Order: sequence, then structure tokens, then C-alpha cells
Amino acid sequence: MRRLMRLLSAYVWRQFLEVMAWREFVVTLTINQAITPLLGLAVWSAALPGRSGISTYYVALLVVQLMTVSYEHHTLSNGIYAGEFSNDLLKPHATVLPTLGMNVAMRIWHLLVGIPLIAALVLVVGVSLDARHSLLAVPALVLAAALRFVFTYALALSALWTQQAHWVVGFGETLIFLLGGSAAPITLFPEGVRPLGAALPFRAMLGFPAEIASGSLSGAEVLAGYGWQVLWLGALTATAAVVWRSGVRRYTAVGG
Amino acid sequence: MSAISVRDLSMTYRAPVREGGLRAAVASLVRRRYREIRAVREISFEVGPGEVVGFIGPNGAGKTTTLKMLSGILHPTDGEARVLGFVPWRREREYLRRIAMIRGSQPIGGPPELTVMDSLRFQQLIYEVQDEEFKRNLSELDEMLDLGSLLERQIRALSLGERMRSGLALALVYRPRVLFLDEPTIGLDVSAVQMIRSFVATYSRETEATVLLTSHYMADVETLCRRIVLIDHGCIAYDGDLMGLSATLSPYKLVRVAVSDGACGDWSRYGEVVESEPGRVSLRVGRQDVPAVTARVLAELSVVDLAVEEPPLESVMDRVYREGVA
Repeated sequence: MRRLMRLLSAYVWRQFLEVMAWREFVVTLTINQAITPLLGLAVWSAALPGRSGISTYYVALLVVQLMTVSYEHHTLSNGIYAGEFSNDLLKPHATVLPTLGMNVAMRIWHLLVGIPLIAALVLVVGVSLDARHSLLAVPALVLAAALRFVFTYALALSALWTQQAHWVVGFGETLIFLLGGSAAPITLFPEGVRPLGAALPFRAMLGFPAEIASGSLSGAEVLAGYGWQVLWLGALTATAAVVWRSGVRRYTAVGG
Repeated sequence: MSAISVRDLSMTYRAPVREGGLRAAVASLVRRRYREIRAVREISFEVGPGEVVGFIGPNGAGKTTTLKMLSGILHPTDGEARVLGFVPWRREREYLRRIAMIRGSQPIGGPPELTVMDSLRFQQLIYEVQDEEFKRNLSELDEMLDLGSLLERQIRALSLGERMRSGLALALVYRPRVLFLDEPTIGLDVSAVQMIRSFVATYSRETEATVLLTSHYMADVETLCRRIVLIDHGCIAYDGDLMGLSATLSPYKLVRVAVSDGACGDWSRYGEVVESEPGRVSLRVGRQDVPAVTARVLAELSVVDLAVEEPPLESVMDRVYREGVA
């Protein structure tokens, strides 16, 4: 485990330096990632004026969005298409490490670039963050980051079967946008649909940490949310492992 | 015990095919057709520890596919292989730490923003090379590859030759026991080619590493390899020493003749004229006819010099690649 963490740190450092070469592009990417939480903030603040917690929720959602961004369709899938995946297969460590390293590096860059925007929003829209809620949201944020990586990684592995990996991951991103709490907070879903929204993995990847930070959940709801996160992380990790094994068998059978 | 042992190794791909045109393109969305391509067909060979073997053949012969199977990137359709006692495609950590695959077309993977030294340190971490050993290996590699001026430079700013030198250093700093070199001199200038050849020869001699080398440059093979494995259409066409390759694959020898009077009426009555100038000629003569032809030349002409040579490897291979193995 110690070796794994040392290797991951080294990969994060390497990829961080690589991304530095195209930092201007990261600014564009960060703005793209910020657009949906900002639109949500604008739309729902106008639709529900005076409703407490909306501003805090969307600013927290922006932080979650920037810290969970996943571009494995660009990093992993394109590497598979270009044959660079073969280099990863030759390394004497888990093949996921270079992709995970890039993922973490990209998130650090998004957060660094996004800090001025977040600070400006905190000042302009009047965010009220409670220290207890914020601390309680941190493990949820870590789990959301892990969950979204595993989800996107599994979808990006579709590149081992098809040339349509970008579409597959794009569809997954659309589901996260619609059902994860970005288009609308899960707490604003119609009564009958809300339990389904709360149970699906998309909220666990995005909206749940923001809901905790904005103080919109009861203790029991926080516990249930954590339960769903752990459950989905286990299920998706197992799925990704199966997809990985099957995909590598296929890759090594049809040619690198 | 062999360092590399291959028995009846086969690899068959299923490649999608379709006719040209829009209609066929649309139809292929619904019904895909495939063709089986037998890239490697039941090949068998052994390579001993410390041996440097040239693995040659025309484009599409199955060289790179074989190297990929032996390095663990591809899983064969059939057959067995052991490298250092490991089954390559199981990609065990201990196995991957003992091998290196170096591709001339892409000598360095990873971020081009890093310096060569950054990348070397990264290799040290991945392959768990102790500090002392790392310094010793790097010093030796520096001596052989003249790395000094490259260590602090970013990879993206290196020329192709410098990339190859750095790529070799990155691949060898952990002292792999088996090297798979896939076209290591492709695209390099004369000086860089000489340096790489000299380096591979020195490295294999000093570390007793086993080397399987593919190259289209016969000079690479002649310089580095005593033994050749020739693969053609996925099958082993020749496995033996370099000297015997021409004798086996070329039915001709080259007879070079110089005469004192500077002229000869019709050289073609002795053999096929390869090149000629006043008083000098090179003839291609069938192996079995060489004794008779040389006797006739000596008897009929005032010969000042006569030499019988194996044809250059380059021209033998050119013939084999174009016409196949007889």
C-alpha cells in the first residue's frame, strides 16, 4: 500500500507538470466545468427567491464539480486508440496508476484555477457555510471523487471494444448532470422521484457533498447518503474490475 | 536453460473488412464482416542467456507481433512461450521488472515536459532501484551514451537521436535481463546509428543481457548479431548463423574479376553481370557453377585478381523480401 501511494504521488507530480504546459487550456476547461453550477445558481435563485441554502448549495456544488472532474475518455480512451496503453501494460505496477495520477493532477489544477471564482462567488452571493457541515462533507467529497473516477474509468474502458468511448462517457456525464444534483438539487425533485434520485449513484458522485455542506440534510439523511456512496463505490469498483479484466483480455487478443 | 523459449506460438487477428463506397459503409454498421489474419503461425525458437539475435523479416511478417507477445502486451491465440521462466502475457510484476521493450518509433513514453533526469528518477522509483545501484548504472550509461548534456533538458526539446539515447538510458537504468529492441535505429543519422549499435553491443557484452532485435537495416544486424531468425508470412524461414544466411537463402555467389588487358568481349558468357567497368567486373554466378566458371575465367583471361564472395546481406534480404523464401 505504501509503495502504491508513493507511485501514485509520483504519477500525480509527473502529470501535474505535464498539465502545466497547457495551463491556458485548463482555464478553458475549468470555465466549462463551472458553467452548469453557475447556471443552476442563477436559475434556481431566480425561481425560488429567498430560499435559504440555494446559493450555498450551488457554490459547494461548484467546488465538488471541480474536485471530481474526470476526463478518462480523453486520457485513457485516447491512449487506447493511440496504442499508448501498451506502454502502461509494460510497467510493473497496477495499470490504473497513470490514469489515476492524471485524474488527480487535473483536479488539483481545476481547483487552483477555480479558487478565484469560488472566492468571488462566496463574496457576491452571500454563502453561509457552517464549519460542522463543511467538515462532515469532506469524507463525502472524497468518496464522490473516488466514485466519479471509477464510474468514468469503467465507461472509458469501452474504448477497448468500440470507437465510441467519447459518446459512452458523454452519456454518463449527461446522467450525472441531470440526476446528480446539477440541473436541480435532489431536494427539489418531485416527492415521488426524490427517493430514487437519492439512491442513484449520480447524486453520490456530485450533489451529496454539496447537500451536506449547505446544511440541507438531517442526520439520518446524511447517514443514508454515506451508505449509498459506500455501496455504489463497492459496486462500481467491482464492475470496473470486471470490465478491466475482460477488456484487457480483448486488447491483448486483438492487438495493441 | 534458455532465456527465451517459444514453442508453436501463433497469433490470429480478426480484422473488420468491407468494400469501398457509402453503401458498403452504411451496411457495415448493421452487418460487420471480418477476416482472419494469421500474423504468426506456429513459430518455435530458443534464445540462450546473453545471446543477441536478429529477428528480421519484411513488413507485416509478424516481427512486432512476436515481440509484443514476448513482452506481455499480446496474448497469443495458441502456443507457449517462456521468457526467463515467466509466461509473458501473465505480466507478473517480477517479470516486467526484468525486461525492456524499446521502440525506435517511440523511444520515450510519458510527459515531454519532464527533464531526462526527472524521467530517470521516475524509472528508479517504478523499478525500485536502490540509490547506489542507480548512480552506478547511470554513470555507466552516461559513459556509453554520452548523456551528460541531456540530463537537464526537457524531453520535448530533444532531437530524435537524443531521444533514442535517453530512451535507452530510461529502459536500461534498472538493468533488464532481456531487451526487445524494435527498430532501434529507425530515422537516426549515421553518427547516432553508430553510437546506438556500439552501445547495444557493449551493453549486452558487459551485462550479459539477452537481446532480440528487429531492424530493417541489415548493417544493424550484421554488426550486432551472430544469429538470425528470419520470419516471413508469420513462419520461421531461417534460424541460424549470419554467415549461413546467404548460403541458405541465396542460390548465387558474387565473383569479382580484374583483368590486366582492361577489356573482355562478353562477360555475360561467364555469369550475370552485376556491375562492370573497364578491366573489372562483378558477376552473379550460381553456387554450383562457381568452380567451373572460375576455372574458365582463369584459363581464358589474363586475370590479375579474382574473389568469390557471398552476396551482400542487404541484397539477399531485398531478394527474399520481394520474392519470398524459396
